[in-house]
Amino acid sequence: MSELDYVGKRILRKDGPDKVTGKAIYTVDIQLKGQLVGRILRSPHAHARILDIDISLALEVPGVKAVITGKDTLGIKHGFVETPRYPADQYPLAMDKVRFIGEEVAAVAATDVYAADKALSLIKVTYESLPAVFDPEEAMIPGAPEIHPSHPKVKEDLVNIGGKTASGWGDVEAGFQEADYVREDRFESHLRTHGFLEPHATVASFEADGKLNVWTSSQGPFIKRAKLAKTLGLPQSSVRVKKAYVGGAFGGKIDLYTHEFCAALLSMKTSRPVEIIATREEIFTAYRHGQPMIVTVKTGVKKDGTIVAQEFKTINNSGGYRGSGVVVIFLVWGFAMAPYRIPNMKYKGYSVYTNNPIRSPQRGHGAPQMRFAVESQLDMIAAELGISPIDIRLKNARVSGEMLPNGDNVHNCGLKDCVLDIAKHTDFTAKFGISRTEKQGRYRKGIGIGVSAYFGGSLIYPNSSSVIVKMNDDGSVSLLTGSLDIGQGSETILCQIVAEELKIPIEEVQVFAADTETTPVDIGVWISGNAYVTGNAAREAAGDVRRKLMTIAAEELNADIENLIFQNKRVYISGQPERSLSYEELVALSIQKHRGDSVIGNGHWRTMRDEPFHPSLATTKGRWTENYAFDAQTAEVEVDTETGNVRLLKAVTAHDCGFPINPLQVEGQIDGQVSMALGHAFMEEIMMEKGRTLNPSWLDYRMPSICNIADSEHIDVITERYQVGKPYRTKEVGEGYVSAILAAIANAIYNAVGVRLFSTPFTPEKILKGLEKIK
Amino acid sequence: MTTTQRKKIIGLTVNEETYELAVECQETLLDVLRNNLGLTGTKEGCGTGECGSCTVLLEGEPILACLMLAVECENKKIETIEGQSINGDLTPVQEAFLEKGAVQCGFCTPGMVLASTDLLKRNPDPSKEDIMESLGGHLCRCTGYNKIMEFVHHAAKLNRDNT
Ligand code: FES
Ligand code: FES
Repeated sequence: MSELDYVGKRILRKDGPDKVTGKAIYTVDIQLKGQLVGRILRSPHAHARILDIDISLALEVPGVKAVITGKDTLGIKHGFVETPRYPADQYPLAMDKVRFIGEEVAAVAATDVYAADKALSLIKVTYESLPAVFDPEEAMIPGAPEIHPSHPKVKEDLVNIGGKTASGWGDVEAGFQEADYVREDRFESHLRTHGFLEPHATVASFEADGKLNVWTSSQGPFIKRAKLAKTLGLPQSSVRVKKAYVGGAFGGKIDLYTHEFCAALLSMKTSRPVEIIATREEIFTAYRHGQPMIVTVKTGVKKDGTIVAQEFKTINNSGGYRGSGVVVIFLVWGFAMAPYRIPNMKYKGYSVYTNNPIRSPQRGHGAPQMRFAVESQLDMIAAELGISPIDIRLKNARVSGEMLPNGDNVHNCGLKDCVLDIAKHTDFTAKFGISRTEKQGRYRKGIGIGVSAYFGGSLIYPNSSSVIVKMNDDGSVSLLTGSLDIGQGSETILCQIVAEELKIPIEEVQVFAADTETTPVDIGVWISGNAYVTGNAAREAAGDVRRKLMTIAAEELNADIENLIFQNKRVYISGQPERSLSYEELVALSIQKHRGDSVIGNGHWRTMRDEPFHPSLATTKGRWTENYAFDAQTAEVEVDTETGNVRLLKAVTAHDCGFPINPLQVEGQIDGQVSMALGHAFMEEIMMEKGRTLNPSWLDYRMPSICNIADSEHIDVITERYQVGKPYRTKEVGEGYVSAILAAIANAIYNAVGVRLFSTPFTPEKILKGLEKIK
Repeated sequence: MTTTQRKKIIGLTVNEETYELAVECQETLLDVLRNNLGLTGTKEGCGTGECGSCTVLLEGEPILACLMLAVECENKKIETIEGQSINGDLTPVQEAFLEKGAVQCGFCTPGMVLASTDLLKRNPDPSKEDIMESLGGHLCRCTGYNKIMEFVHHAAKLNRDNT
């Protein structure tokens, strides 16, 4: 039984027609009556005290309606993390000090952008410049300029420590003793950006009744509402964040941003709608990019390649405020421990304040950095021991049912199958085995592999989702979810699930999403939780409707519930298709005979329902999730030994995502991640000098175009399945595949020309230098 | 033609409708389409000619509306994404775009649709290289371009089947 009609099918996007016709309204497209333009004044100093701000001339510019500075705010701080250990550390507008170039100092609302820019130029800020520090390792040393006091619980003699994570198990020293071979390496990952096409944008409209309506390009409305309400001193019920289409986010639109706060406060001051759209240059120079990281790995193995001990130290450059720095040093521990069995492990991670712009999550949030380090080193170890890259990974890969050190169970784990399938598919062993002496001439090819694991829907916040599904009079349904489609297709898969549970054509499922006032609370679309957490909530809500329909049908048809069959908006008695009722009839009957019950279903879900709150960022103690995805990726490259240029000829991703709810979307996620990784590997780098961005445009920060398309293939390793009426455990597909591929590329370059790279990006200069050395 | 200090009245034909508009001399075609005419389907990803999301057809040729001053388009014919599907029917290019899953966030989509419509008009059976040449200036961060490449080939086929 259980033929699936919608789940697992290549269903086209619900929002597709809106998007191909230009009808989709994004935040940048919203134009309200009387809307003002907001602009932000930013600090030209990396570190300075603010002595005075004079706005009098700015206020005189015709068309200017309001100018705000830190003095106009309540001085309530906010942060990506707000816990007792890590209290909020950032004012929405600078009060006393600025800590990076681009920090927001004042904002203006005016009738047009010319007036707003003119006013910005007339605001006089007097600064007292302070010594600044930009390199995290320099910033840690006592004597470095203090950006914030070091975390009180970090007892070492270090400064500017925003946070620390320490974890481990077993006896790492004993493990190294036991090892036949030990090596330690240091890897560095560079600064790169999300590159979403829709800029950061917010429209805020403060109404006469005291309600603040907000549209903002984000990754979920509920966290924005909470933080806006807190910093503005409003009750949450006075802030309504509404849906607009989102033109990409990739981790860069989660937290509260100052432009959101300023648009809101300016609207409150002027009683007119205010729009702030960041320019691309502002996004490059002053907004949050990903996390550059230094990873030191020491690994001990037995002769046969079995890992016996691993010790890690990471240093993250968090910029002028904590941002997500203390989260990334916690998460990378997870990215280290999830794929391989490590009997003894020690981990230490520091998040360090520097006078750079703040950092945020970026697709993978630490996974690319950690997997690049571990997988590169594993290949070096394998070569040293004379073991193949495939065998060493198979030897250490986790298997189904294994318990992780945090107490999580990996459940069905397809990692070994991913490695085996990809090796076979790519003819890895034969290609890898071609010796370098056989590779002659200017262009040389190589192949490399990497693996990674990614957790979905983790309890980093008290994450959960609720969904409402309601029947309409005509038997169609409406789905209410707080989840936001940022391009990944969440609305479509939620509709697929509801359509499947209720056996109703997908066209008859309408979604109403992402409105804090009218839709139920949702996890938000980050840490890869939507398909699993919100999806199961949708399944439960539809199940609730199904049960109600079933009860009424059983009464009316005088049948046993077990004998009822749902098909195409009707309920039948098994074997007697002539005895049936349509959903339309059932709704009418329910209203008539159940005191007006119009058939509304509720559903909710949270990963691991019994866990108290969330794991400790300091010690990693506490459960995370029951949802681990695994993958292996290979890269085939061609190195031009004269120019040092590398081309990615082919990328293959073998992945255990549980099962794909929509294969078309899964492929889209994989292709997008391979392309992003290709950019990170070869093309993209935010260049900074003393806190200043040197390449603030897409002309100078090159992202892949269609001319850099990667030949990307996919292999599904199916480990879970969907059954109507039962909880499911599909896994994440939106972040994990940007990671292993980076290491696979590095390993492929080594296989091609014998140059081992310890830092990203893999530039021609580094490769030529490497070639020079081994000549 | 009337000129004031800052504004100039120009005629503009957009999606076959003619408008008379007072525009500021420094206003771009993109601003006028989006702000004066409310045609927000044309997107601004950068405003400086680097991403292709503001592409429209000017006298049938794809141009970047963020780099074109509105006053330069006086009495010219412009087509935007809003003018593509007549009476709600999607064009074969739009159909193919959906079918092949070439849309994710959709922010690059209007520009991609117009540029590929233009390409297919000039070249009913484009090669991979032709597609790279025509779409090389259009950034898309979501799709990795694989499904965009597929969709252009598919749209070409749909177009050929239709004629
Ligand atoms: S907005 Fe015109 S090219 Fe980016
Ligand atoms: S679909 Fe998002 S940028 Fe192309």
